[in-house]
Amino acid sequence: MSAHHNTDSIQHLYEGDQSKLYSGVMAHHSDINSTESKTQIKKIWKVFWILLVITVVEVGMGMFFSHSIPKAVINFLFLALTILKAGYIVAIFMHLGDEFKGFIASVLIPLVLFVWFIIAFLADGFFWLRMNNSSPAREQIENVAHSTKK
Amino acid sequence: MSHSTVVTSAPKQNLWEGGRSPYNVSYGKIMMWFFLLSDALTFGALLISYGTTRFFSAVWPDPNEVFKAFPFMHGQNLPLLFVSLMTFILIMSSVTMVLAVHAGHYNDKKSVAKWLLWTIIGGICFLACQAWEWTHLHSEIGGLWGTFTDPATPTSSFSHFFNQDLAGHVLSTQPGMAMQSTHNFFNYFFTITGFHGGHVTSGVVFNILILVNTVNGVYERRGHYEMVEKIGLYWHFVDLVWVFVFTCFYLL
Repeated sequence: MSAHHNTDSIQHLYEGDQSKLYSGVMAHHSDINSTESKTQIKKIWKVFWILLVITVVEVGMGMFFSHSIPKAVINFLFLALTILKAGYIVAIFMHLGDEFKGFIASVLIPLVLFVWFIIAFLADGFFWLRMNNSSPAREQIENVAHSTKK
Repeated sequence: MSHSTVVTSAPKQNLWEGGRSPYNVSYGKIMMWFFLLSDALTFGALLISYGTTRFFSAVWPDPNEVFKAFPFMHGQNLPLLFVSLMTFILIMSSVTMVLAVHAGHYNDKKSVAKWLLWTIIGGICFLACQAWEWTHLHSEIGGLWGTFTDPATPTSSFSHFFNQDLAGHVLSTQPGMAMQSTHNFFNYFFTITGFHGGHVTSGVVFNILILVNTVNGVYERRGHYEMVEKIGLYWHFVDLVWVFVFTCFYLL
């Protein structure tokens, strides 16, 4: 074992409460009015404005252009803006951008499963769309609905 | 950079040989991240089944027609305005939470308490908005889950949820299909926003607990505010989910 590379006074913490080590000693800052702290706070508010502007743009698109722009184009834009927003929240607000690369990868790689989920849901949807248009049960429902409509 | 003061005297090749966290993250924080990952998959499953249902439906209610009410503005056509307000409240409470976490990094007890209090207020405002929206929809459709199940339901009781230009034809030729879409739409809406609202509720409870601990000086004695950081991760995740719920239900 070459675990004894840290010989300073914090060594005893490795045996006990790890959060004390990683959040108490190592991540400790002293002055909230320092320039470093103020830059950080500025960054937080900048992200807030970015998120707000993206949301306003999305709502504007939804209200005024959702029927004039082709559905595929507008949906692509909505999804791109959503992922952009999610990226800002995760990277800045949740501080994932400040973590080690290996940790970022451990959190993000499992999300690749969503690629398969989306393929599966499109395939399933196609199947059911065809079923829905051709099933006898569907006709029966429509007959009932029609007879009561008048 | 929250880890700029990290002790990195160890040479790189020793990173995985024990003695320190290779990712420089404590156990509790890693586990919070992995819990959120599993929660993301749960929400993903709900949203994807919603997507499948929507994809195979020939028509679907138009959010601009369903969500156009605003408290005290009765009878006015204000599409998406109320949900925009809800989104604004949640983003705002996310900012106050990240400011609380930031103050925690500097062991600034007073600021942590102040920003946590604002976060709790934001969370309660969001829940109040959701309660109003649910109540409004309840009175409009006459229930929450399981409405629009009788094929004999007159078309007029759901046709106003659709965009007439896009769905008018289907509404007259296949009213049963349109009714079933309305049924599915509201079932998914109440399930998913309900599940999200449950997360917000528990988030508010957690925030109240850590506010009490902060004020009592528990974290000050402990020497760090990691609990605020962990609950902060949870709170931001709730905001993150809302971003996707907002897109799926109100925009797409």
